[in-house]
Amino acid sequence: MPFTRINSKMVEAQVHPGQRMFSQRGAMLAYRGRVTFTPSITGGQGGVMSMIGRRVANEATPLMVVEGEGTVMFGHGGHHIHTADLTGETLYVESDRLLAFDGSLRQGTMFMGSQGGVMGVIRGQATGQGLFTTTLQGVGSAAFLAHGGVIELPVTPQRPVHVDPQAYVAHRGEVRNRLTAALGWREMVGRGSGEAFQLELSGQGTVYVQASEEKL
Amino acid sequence: MATFRLQGTRVLAVDLAGEAVKAKNGAMVAYDGEMTFKKMTGGGEGLRGLVTRRITGEHMAVMEVRGTGTCWFADRATEINLVRLTGETLHVEASNLLATEPALRTGTTFTGLRGASQGNGLFTTTVEGSGQAAILSDGPAIVLRVTKQTPLTVDPGAYVAHTGNLRQHLQSALGWRTLVGEGSGESFQIRFEGEGLVYVQPSERTTIGGQL
Repeated sequence: MPFTRINSKMVEAQVHPGQRMFSQRGAMLAYRGRVTFTPSITGGQGGVMSMIGRRVANEATPLMVVEGEGTVMFGHGGHHIHTADLTGETLYVESDRLLAFDGSLRQGTMFMGSQGGVMGVIRGQATGQGLFTTTLQGVGSAAFLAHGGVIELPVTPQRPVHVDPQAYVAHRGEVRNRLTAALGWREMVGRGSGEAFQLELSGQGTVYVQASEEKL
Repeated sequence: MATFRLQGTRVLAVDLAGEAVKAKNGAMVAYDGEMTFKKMTGGGEGLRGLVTRRITGEHMAVMEVRGTGTCWFADRATEINLVRLTGETLHVEASNLLATEPALRTGTTFTGLRGASQGNGLFTTTVEGSGQAAILSDGPAIVLRVTKQTPLTVDPGAYVAHTGNLRQHLQSALGWRTLVGEGSGESFQIRFEGEGLVYVQPSERTTIGGQL
């Protein structure tokens, strides 16, 4: 079920019997109807093994299960909310940016080091995003948070896009990411342009970039 | 020519075809094509610029962005306003200037006591020439016209930039109430007289005057 925008910082979702939704714990603002909120001890789908995986990967943001019948409004911290409707592809997003998503989406954890080897590991460290990221796959919708709104930039094989790691929010599709370093003597003497590390995204898909260089 | 366009209200997209634009250090959020980033130093070029910067403290950290493709800029989710200059001078706080076209010259001028009350130092940045400049404001800025008959008074913390032929002076309304800690929070104001435009943001920086 897709999310309905109420304003730039609030979304509404319909909940029907038999359909589950996951949301960040405490992100509910208001609801109508008979809706229950149960803390998800395993932090999402996939049972205990997935839970251990997420704990190890430090991608275990507390989640809750939303069930019942009615409409629920979500929002968090006054941050802007962006929604993405997935039709089979994969969305890569940091777990703490994930606000809510359909239970029909498969949740997973990906080791960023597997893309780009050593540089992937450095990427996680340099950007403060950690070595793992959350993936959502399947058919359904997801809502995620960004500071100051999001612009969507298309990535095509002819047009790779470079993103400031701090402004990167999420990406979807068949996109490879690679950290590129433009370190020169200027950075060494402390006169850098502030753009020493960039995330290069190539392939076919979309990247979401926020209008700020602040983490949530 | 470099073209500036706004994507939403908080992201500036700049299309480049080989030329260079000046932008606030670290304000790039994304680019495609080929871009190089080189740190420059504000306050004018050459040795004179260096001395000016050291003395004034108005060292706007600027980078030169050169290449072909599109580059997107944003800064802490603040709103972006495009200003087209046709020969006049734009006075703006260094921290509020996001990007300027290559044809524009930037420099530093003395503002007197007003600067200190704004929490921005005694100097301000000037942009001269013909072309577009992008300035930042915390919240959407409003543009207020000043004419000879209607002078304008603004809060130093909400002032962003001004253009045109304006004289400015700081006025204070300190009274015995301020001294006993019962001030209205509006003890200092900047008064603009002449002909021109003043950009004001719906937010106030923390200033010395704001506490009184």
